[in-house]
Amino acid sequence: MTIATEKPLAFKVRADFPILHQEIHGKPLVYLDNAATSQKPIAVLEALKHYYENDNANVHRGVHTLSSRATDGYEGARDKVAAFVNAPSRQEIVFTRNASEAINLVAYAWAMSTLQPGDEIILTVMEHHSNLIPWQFVAQRTGAILKFVELTETEEFDFDHFKSLLSDKTKLVSVVHVSNTLGCINPVQEICAEAHRYGAKVLIDACQSAPHMPLNVQQIDCDWLVASGHKMCAPTGIGFLYGKLELLRSMPPFLGGGEMIADVFLDRATYADLPHKFEAGTPAIAEAIALGAAVDYLTAIGMDRIHTYEEELTAYLFKQLEQVPTIRTYGPKPNANGGGRAALAAFTAGDVHPHDLSTILDQAGVAIRAGHHCTQPLHRHLGAQSTARASLYFYNTREDIDVFIAALKEAVDFFGSIFG
Amino acid sequence: MTSSLGNLRDLYQQVILERYKKPRHRGKADPVSRYQKGHNPSCGDTIELTLRLNQAGDRIEEVKFEGEGCAIAMASADLMAEALTGRNVDEALQMVQRFQDMMKGGVEFPSEFRKLNVMQGVSQFPVRIKCATLTWHTLKAALEAASSEKLEEFVSNE
Repeated sequence: MTIATEKPLAFKVRADFPILHQEIHGKPLVYLDNAATSQKPIAVLEALKHYYENDNANVHRGVHTLSSRATDGYEGARDKVAAFVNAPSRQEIVFTRNASEAINLVAYAWAMSTLQPGDEIILTVMEHHSNLIPWQFVAQRTGAILKFVELTETEEFDFDHFKSLLSDKTKLVSVVHVSNTLGCINPVQEICAEAHRYGAKVLIDACQSAPHMPLNVQQIDCDWLVASGHKMCAPTGIGFLYGKLELLRSMPPFLGGGEMIADVFLDRATYADLPHKFEAGTPAIAEAIALGAAVDYLTAIGMDRIHTYEEELTAYLFKQLEQVPTIRTYGPKPNANGGGRAALAAFTAGDVHPHDLSTILDQAGVAIRAGHHCTQPLHRHLGAQSTARASLYFYNTREDIDVFIAALKEAVDFFGSIFG
Repeated sequence: MTSSLGNLRDLYQQVILERYKKPRHRGKADPVSRYQKGHNPSCGDTIELTLRLNQAGDRIEEVKFEGEGCAIAMASADLMAEALTGRNVDEALQMVQRFQDMMKGGVEFPSEFRKLNVMQGVSQFPVRIKCATLTWHTLKAALEAASSEKLEEFVSNE
């Protein structure tokens, strides 16, 4: 059978990523910091180059050919993103700089004008700072109260605790889909269903899910969903907000400026229809078009296939990590097939500080993240000052994991000999 | 450690690893004449320095530190505490500058402070320099503070 001999997905795609083919300190690069940002395939780099060499002009405001091409490219990217998350309408996709800006958009345009003193916002202790600080602003300005879902014993979303926090006072639930530290996959569909019973709105932070698994906003039934392009093969500076049409319609504009207007007078203005109402100023045109190219690239491979392959890698990663003395991983363990969690592992190694680990791994060509991964409250909750994190993408291989594990063992041995 | 990782030996010299494992100046000065907290927000390393000064307030009699951080940060704090004991405040402030210059490469401490020179290897690892300098930034703030009042403000190393 051909299936048994078929090469893993990574071998077919690695040629698409020029950056992977280099040496760091004389060793082949093993890039395991994908949860921070992904690398970019040639198709995305070419889209940027092609745009600037052939089509560059401002969008929506010229009748000349280049402007028309730029507009078509930019709006075409919107169609691609809408299809990628299965949004019912292209008007429901707003381009932003990144997920943080998308969350701030909802915080300022919706929450600031809607929430009353005593209203409650439910978050979790595992949120990235980007899904925490904007709601702290909202709470400070409106008098709304922040509540936090705790973790279960397996360091996952505690659904029972979540249910106990819900009440008629709950106006918003804002929760991460996949934790960038724990790697747990939160039951967002069930969270939305439960929250909606109380009339609360739900925002999903999909930064760590959009790059790795199929997303269907209609099935999840979330009110808003945000993601950053740079974690899903697109350039930095582009992300998106999905929002339900009626909800986006009811929200006042966020930033004011060009592009978001209909009629402007000296003392007042009327605003453009969706989605342009939320896109003030000249947008990141090239980046949006490149995001469209990234979506095309990922879709051509197939998000199901990427997810399945990453599950295989996850099973292998955790199996190998278990062989290294003193390693403690965070979040749920993968199931036998590698499923049930994301393809990343945050860990500590006894008394060896994550920064020291990361420096030693870097000398072996292995790029991992060390620190608090923008989840300081979660680290406090876990009793870890900082952790190291290896995070995978579909271009990573078992061999990458082998190099990482060998270097990790060496680092643990090196410090172990000191600590005796 | 394989030879390919050999230049890590410059960074993690035996003295550094020993000081990380068995610091000699962890704790709290008694009484506390100066207190200062330092923080490295990008990695979460924290340090709490306490100093005992002489009555005139111009001489350091004791330096202690508490905190959490990597081997470089903790060893740097321990070596600094040792080197500063018995020094005048003015001299200590000059040493802060000398240490920062050493991190840029080239400059060393004179032989009387040669233990501090084991930190020189850090200069080859630019992203780790802030680990080594956190304790010195914190010291500078502690010495420049007017009194023993506990400052809520962190010294940030960014």
